[in-house]
Amino acid sequence: VSGPGDPAGLADEELEEIMSGFRRIPGGVSARFTPDQASVLRGLVSQVAELIGGPGSADPAADGSPGAGSPGLGGDVPGGDVPGFRESPPGGAGLILGDAPPDAGPVAGGGRAADPLAPAFPAGDPPVPGFPAAGEIDLAGFEADFGAGGPSAPPDDPVLARLFPDAYAGDEASSGEFRRFTEAGLRSGKVAGAQTVLATLPGTGGRVRLPAGDAEAWVRVLNDVRLALGVRLGITEDYEHELPGAGRGELHSAYLQVYDWLTFLQETLVRALW
Amino acid sequence: VSVAPAEVERPQVREVTEPERPWVTIVWNDPVNLMSYVTYVFQKVFAYPKPKARKLMLDVHHKGRAVVSAGSREAMEHDAEVLHGYGLWATVSHDR
Repeated sequence: VSGPGDPAGLADEELEEIMSGFRRIPGGVSARFTPDQASVLRGLVSQVAELIGGPGSADPAADGSPGAGSPGLGGDVPGGDVPGFRESPPGGAGLILGDAPPDAGPVAGGGRAADPLAPAFPAGDPPVPGFPAAGEIDLAGFEADFGAGGPSAPPDDPVLARLFPDAYAGDEASSGEFRRFTEAGLRSGKVAGAQTVLATLPGTGGRVRLPAGDAEAWVRVLNDVRLALGVRLGITEDYEHELPGAGRGELHSAYLQVYDWLTFLQETLVRALW
Repeated sequence: VSVAPAEVERPQVREVTEPERPWVTIVWNDPVNLMSYVTYVFQKVFAYPKPKARKLMLDVHHKGRAVVSAGSREAMEHDAEVLHGYGLWATVSHDR
């Protein structure tokens, strides 16, 4: 655990807010993010949205995102739109989509916010140390095969198979029939939720204030992202008790730190919603 | 179900007996979903009071699965669909 540093020129109260996750405020919840935390979270949410809905799904402008037009509770950061952010989609390469070549650098388009795997915290006394650096992880080979199979067959990608599981254990026909009627709607619901998060989390970080409806979208999306990371990282019930880096490498444990941070965020959000 | 901080409890209540019906929705344990979140979802989706939601969550966690609702096949498919929307691993099955 870091000492009381001042990693990003933050006031003590701001650092305290960042480290305490979500909290209840009148009419909703709030949390504060560093720019790098916001960037990492936006990147992961974008990747999950694109895995589920296809390229462009992470862009709230692509259709009427429920969150994009919601008045929200305002915030003390300038707007929800970072100029140029949409021109540099953050989901081009990374852990979730897994379409990055082994030595892929930052995706084309550049810009700090474009890299979902950039360190979530500035170097030096970070609240959560050990975030992976850009392009350091090689998880190529995961297929983003959304829509590739028939609508009644389960997705090949293990993340999608977890997000859209068979509804009948050992009954392929019934599962296929259920899937045929539900999967498209479930996919759009999850993409819409991701767009709500992207529309309410400024790429510059800062304080996010969410009315209850948006907070509900956030808690689901945080869960979806954790499920996706959990599949990619091979999370088990007792992963916390495994020896650090045991046969997995530093990057794996670095991503576990991202996973743990998301777990913390979701836990504080659930408690703020109760 | 993932072990969340400060959530150490033992299940104290036996099975909640539902009226005998042909179909049930089952939620299965998984290592990612948080105990708090699963409880929250049961409250939200089924309007169960917190103690019942928590008991079902603990059943999922300790026994690997729990029957969370019972009724017509159509209603159970609806429940499973909603639970999938929340990221829970739910299946529909004949009650036995």
